[in-house]
Amino acid sequence: MSEGPPLVEVQGLDLAYRHRDDWLRVLHGVSFTIGQGETFGLVGESGCGKSTVAYQLLGYRRPNARVEGGKVLFQGRDMLRLSRPELDSLRGNRVALVPQNPTTALSPGMRVGEQIAEVLALHGPPDHGIAAAGRTVELFHLVGLPAPERIGRRYPHQLSGGQQQRVAIAMALACDPALVVLDEPTTGLDVTTQEQILELLRSLRRRLGMSMLYVTHDLGVLAEIADRIGVMYAGHMVEVAPTSVLFGAPRHPYARGLLASLPRIEETGPRGRPLRGLLRRDDLPAGCPFQPRCDDAEPSCAISAQRLEPAGPGHEVACQRWRRLDAAAIETARDGTRPVTPLGEAPVLAVKGVDLRYDAAAWWGRWFAASTPPVVSGLDFAVAAGETFALVGESGSGKSTIARAISGMIAPATGSILFQGEKLPGLVRARTTEQRRRIQYIFQNPDASLNPRARAGKIIARPLELFGAASGASVAAGVARALDEVRLDAGFAARYPDQLSGGERQRVAIARALIAEPTLLLCDEILSALDVSVQASIIELLRRLRRELRLTLLFISHDLAVVRHLADRVGVLYRGRLMEVGRVDDIFAPPFHPYTHELLMAVPGARKEAGRAALGPAPSGAPGKGCVFAGRCPVQAGPQCENETPPWRTAESGLKIRCHIPLNELGQRPPTPNREVLSP
Amino acid sequence: MVLAVTGPASRWRRALLAWRRSPVSFRAGAALLLVHAIVAATGPFWAPYGLSQMGTGAPLAGMSWSHPFGVDQLGRDIFSRVVHGGHIVLLLSLSGTFLGLVVGAVIGLLSGYVRGWIDEALQRVLEALISIPFLVLALIAIAAAGPELSGNPLLVILVVALVYAPRIARIARAAALDIVTRDFVTVARLRGESAWSVMRRELLPNASGVLLVEFALRAGYAPVLIGSLGFLGFGMRPPTPEWGLMISENRALIIVSPITVLGPGLTLASLVVGLNLFTEGLARILGRTVRRADK
Repeated sequence: MSEGPPLVEVQGLDLAYRHRDDWLRVLHGVSFTIGQGETFGLVGESGCGKSTVAYQLLGYRRPNARVEGGKVLFQGRDMLRLSRPELDSLRGNRVALVPQNPTTALSPGMRVGEQIAEVLALHGPPDHGIAAAGRTVELFHLVGLPAPERIGRRYPHQLSGGQQQRVAIAMALACDPALVVLDEPTTGLDVTTQEQILELLRSLRRRLGMSMLYVTHDLGVLAEIADRIGVMYAGHMVEVAPTSVLFGAPRHPYARGLLASLPRIEETGPRGRPLRGLLRRDDLPAGCPFQPRCDDAEPSCAISAQRLEPAGPGHEVACQRWRRLDAAAIETARDGTRPVTPLGEAPVLAVKGVDLRYDAAAWWGRWFAASTPPVVSGLDFAVAAGETFALVGESGSGKSTIARAISGMIAPATGSILFQGEKLPGLVRARTTEQRRRIQYIFQNPDASLNPRARAGKIIARPLELFGAASGASVAAGVARALDEVRLDAGFAARYPDQLSGGERQRVAIARALIAEPTLLLCDEILSALDVSVQASIIELLRRLRRELRLTLLFISHDLAVVRHLADRVGVLYRGRLMEVGRVDDIFAPPFHPYTHELLMAVPGARKEAGRAALGPAPSGAPGKGCVFAGRCPVQAGPQCENETPPWRTAESGLKIRCHIPLNELGQRPPTPNREVLSP
Repeated sequence: MVLAVTGPASRWRRALLAWRRSPVSFRAGAALLLVHAIVAATGPFWAPYGLSQMGTGAPLAGMSWSHPFGVDQLGRDIFSRVVHGGHIVLLLSLSGTFLGLVVGAVIGLLSGYVRGWIDEALQRVLEALISIPFLVLALIAIAAAGPELSGNPLLVILVVALVYAPRIARIARAAALDIVTRDFVTVARLRGESAWSVMRRELLPNASGVLLVEFALRAGYAPVLIGSLGFLGFGMRPPTPEWGLMISENRALIIVSPITVLGPGLTLASLVVGLNLFTEGLARILGRTVRRADK
């Protein structure tokens, strides 16, 4: 990729954070290089130090951090030893940052154009012949924002998440930097938006030739964008390899575990063991930091420090056993077949012709405000006992609104929701205790769904106290059993939520739902706030619970790979309308609804068809009278798409697709999204 | 980052550690309050003279070693009376403020959780009450209670609570509005918990930091309010050694013997300063900024 000296050279970087009265080493001799025009990916679980490394390239560290050794050379100058004015002239100019969350990175009270002009005023436009205003428009054009001449007058809150991230990228590119540091730039964005941003970054790199450091916890994203990847664990660089080599023949057990933890769209093929356990900073051995979680460790691993050693051209690994862990040793996966649930039984949940809308917030506003267009309309589906039904779609498609309606947070405007054959009252306060007990809701973010001032035991015990009038002893026993069901030690009952990791918190939230002995579990994006390795263990937990307790699950997710692993049947939702419903294997095989097809193609790691453009941004405003996907659909049939509601078409397998195009013409191109495509 | 190691020994060590890290204002305030609390608790046993013992010295004798705060017109030792009055002032302020806190917190948290027209109506009533100045509201309440209750310590407590409850309720409601948006409150709602139960289990523990600071802040001004009532003759009755009342009794003598007014006045001031420093430090420890009390 690069000739001549590398642009960035990090040599033996040691860094420590102040913890109480002590210094806690968080980076141990991290070394890597980034060539001219190269994209280097840094990957690892949260807490592995990847963001800390990234910020060193900007010469930035928190006030309680201390560099204990090493160099960070950018174009031959050591960023760690530059004076403040020297740094100021480089940062935002030659080295720029795209932060994780554009919502907080953009100043909310300032028009986005002014924010970019601010950068230009500080460093001056790269080409002195051009005025700052002209450069701003040029930048907006470059990052593909609509109406580049006018969008600068908008405030950040008037832009979508993807547009905000484009503004942040434009700001980073303002002075034509040699290096852009991207800190999880697509985390928190939709799959389709993420794909658009990745596409943008690829094309920007082609056109501008800048180098990038891309920090993420998602290996799948790096498959799409990085030339080389560095895998970090607990402050150590454990493996550095070209992208295709890392995906084809990973050497370090941790890299293998990360790869195996990725839920994959395609379930066949060899599959290693996913990661187990958690990174415990307080309990690291003197030798290899990964030793406590490593299945292939031998006693000497805990004692002898591991150094990066060459394992192939451009491939380095820090594991003394890598030669013996031959690639062939990756064991084959358990077979992924699931018991087929009979659909003949009476459904546990039946949603019939439901429209959902949000009313004006204030109670008095309802008298005046005109009714809003429905968020969800004409919704029909049923979930059989013991079945897992997944609802997928982008954010704003109404997935969570449906779960909120079933749980009784909002009442359907029209239509009815039947639970075990009985019509459910719209709002939770009108429902019977039995109905409330049998429908349990698990939220996306366990940080918010657990009371921070209550111990886990008390949190879990409450539904039991409320629903089953139980004496003290049996409540304690019930809590212990619920903790055991989610594989947590009984000692966790005494802990407060902030003493638990993200995965443990979500387990507590699941235990709280299980203790009520529900029939139906509503899982609203319950994995999306968790690390990849933790996700894998929670998926495993859900599968086991479903089997043992015969739970019915309504599983809401935007992650198709997870859905593929967990669901029996899937409903694809777009702007509040079901587009396709069917068994999971049929959804992931042709024929595809055009929208499903686009969703599958947007999954990181999916094979890209030549010349296929990323799906455009979702339109705003009320949908027309025809198909809601019309206008954004790449294979639109004709004027009837705009004007007529498409019919449901049923395939032999029972798959239902709502489209004007006949089934035999729909998406016969197999997308086979597969993360192995990069292997040599 | 503190994990679940809660043996009694480690709890003490943590308390000691927290004390060492606390801001100076917190420590100074706590020290002042400790002195006041000790004097209030033990004063009646070691005060040099009785609480209304007359003829302890020449009336209006001024400051001396045997009479640090001087002697009033009736020959009573002011210092002894201040010491005897300590527990009265502390008890009245703290219990009045606490009652106001309980009532205000319950109203505010419930109102913020229930919303709807109940909330709107309650808020208008509270706003009306807040719009009346402290002292005027207190005087109206005392006048309405009638002469037979006048001078009753219970009335003083109730009046302090009445003045503070609406203001605390506003703060509690604001805290509740933030907390109810979090998912754990929704979980409780979906479970079918009563509003009272949600308030007690979910809202109160999470609002406790705000409410604690609010309590300390209000308690700091309560002695002034009680003193003002006493000064105006609407609080405690003579010969109760309430400090505001003593200032009022001796105010005619301020030219002849200033220390008879300064003594109780400075004591009152030191209590108020102590409470304020303590609150400010506490707020800083809890990571909150203090809004100065509206006078």
